[in-house]
Amino acid sequence: MSRIVMRFTGVGGQGVLLAGEIFAAAKIKDGGYGVKTATYTSQVRGGPTVVDIQLDDKEIWYPYAIDGQINFMLSVADKSYQLFKNGVAEGGTMVIEPNLVHPTTEDKQKWNIYEIPIITIAKEEVGNVITQSVVALAIANTMTKALDEDVLIETMLSKVPKKVHEANLKAYELGKKYALEALEKGPSK
Amino acid sequence: MSATREIISSGNDLAAIAAVDAGCMFFGGYPITPSSEVMHTISDLLPKVGGTAIQMEDEIAGVAAAIGAGMAGVRTLTATSGPGISLKAENLGLAQMAEVPLVVVNVMRGGPSTGLPTRVSQGDVAQAKNPSHGDYKSITVCAGTLAECYTETVRAFNLADRFMQPVFVLLDETLGHMHGKAMLPTVEEVKAGIKPRKKFEGDPADYKPYGVAQDEPAVLNPMFEGYRYHFTGLHHDAMGFPTEEIETCRKLIDRLFKKVDAHRDEIESNEEYMVDDAEILLIGYGSASLAIKEAVNVLREQGIKAGLFRPITLWPSPEERMFELGQKFDKVLVVELNQGQYLEEVQRCMGRRDIEKLTKTNGRPFSPADIIEKVKEL
Repeated sequence: MSRIVMRFTGVGGQGVLLAGEIFAAAKIKDGGYGVKTATYTSQVRGGPTVVDIQLDDKEIWYPYAIDGQINFMLSVADKSYQLFKNGVAEGGTMVIEPNLVHPTTEDKQKWNIYEIPIITIAKEEVGNVITQSVVALAIANTMTKALDEDVLIETMLSKVPKKVHEANLKAYELGKKYALEALEKGPSK
Repeated sequence: MSATREIISSGNDLAAIAAVDAGCMFFGGYPITPSSEVMHTISDLLPKVGGTAIQMEDEIAGVAAAIGAGMAGVRTLTATSGPGISLKAENLGLAQMAEVPLVVVNVMRGGPSTGLPTRVSQGDVAQAKNPSHGDYKSITVCAGTLAECYTETVRAFNLADRFMQPVFVLLDETLGHMHGKAMLPTVEEVKAGIKPRKKFEGDPADYKPYGVAQDEPAVLNPMFEGYRYHFTGLHHDAMGFPTEEIETCRKLIDRLFKKVDAHRDEIESNEEYMVDDAEILLIGYGSASLAIKEAVNVLREQGIKAGLFRPITLWPSPEERMFELGQKFDKVLVVELNQGQYLEEVQRCMGRRDIEKLTKTNGRPFSPADIIEKVKEL
């Protein structure tokens, strides 16, 4: 496997950190290397947050994603989207929350942008907004095929409290379903 | 130590786990970004092994409590970031003077003052050398990988007990918060490697805690075991009582230096990455060395033979090795996330002023591309 570089962006308090930790841990459990870094501001809530995830079979020294080498970005906040979008390689894949993120027409030509209402899915279909990071996890893995799904789900369950296992499994299934539908429909133009 | 145990964790958590594995039984501190996770994690771990973690009312009280535990005779930790070290400085001076062993983890962030709380920096390297007033010799280690957040914390506890003084463990925001795989020694191996502080076993009437050889640390027995002595920040005699006697005062400060200087071989630790056949020498430490290693790999693919010298013990600095490298390499580049705090030490050790520097102080990490570009300019 060549290196997979993902970036999750949002605003502080949305819980995008957890998905990064799950990805890194699952890759390591699978026998490879995974690193997650997070950059955030001193604003407790509302500041732009970026989580970089790198997965590789070889050892990873530098822990941050390098601009221009990012294969996949997921964004649930417009200000972080605008700040970090240019790190994504041309022709790379992005998933955005269409109620909150507003890409330009040029953006849609430069990247394959898929619109999935991540927060609405978590809030209304799963019934718990906190599960959005697991919806995002499922979308990211379905789109990038980064990891074996069973290892990823097992790792995810080991990181969340038992009482919310069911909700998170539901979140994963829904994320996967929406990602497959989006892929079939094709990127937003 | 061998590295056979795989842990998936962050640098801050690894420092806390390391402390407990190394036999730390007390934590006193106050939360501060980006070091708070050290406190969160050790607060969870210490009660399970019969230890105590206390969140005090402020940074000053945090280190004071930790020093008190050190005086009582247990392994003790405090963790903070640069602004916390500024506040703790006076008490750290007391621990240097009274020879109280203590480990201080500093997860560096942008400064001065409150600076950039959530962003990376290596701006406290000079501070770690002399955080408080007065003359003494700092021991400061600096982790450069996730695994070293663990192993260097373990080493710091052994050094603190060996040399009877505070030992700094420098982490930074990048290392503290990055999350990934660390290959560690087993807990059994760490426990087997614990070297507790020296204890006087003879007749209490013959006990002179500070009356030791001129290149050795004080021998401070645990409290409440029948060995009486006095702690003070004043110049003191062999029993710890204040004195202004000329020769005693001279010898005390002289010994605070000699106990470290005479045993540099027990303290020094460096990594050399692709230095043997290198034509350009890069010097860096902490998280900056992660970007440097990546840059060295890319430069070599492009036919430029670069190598990295990474001091793990920053203070005392590896004077002799740096002097040798300064003789061997024409081109030397120091890369650090400050305006050149260690550059000055490299210049001093190498006896040269023509050392190149790449520095950054905007709270952002170096990217390998920054380093590659600079090396190509040389």
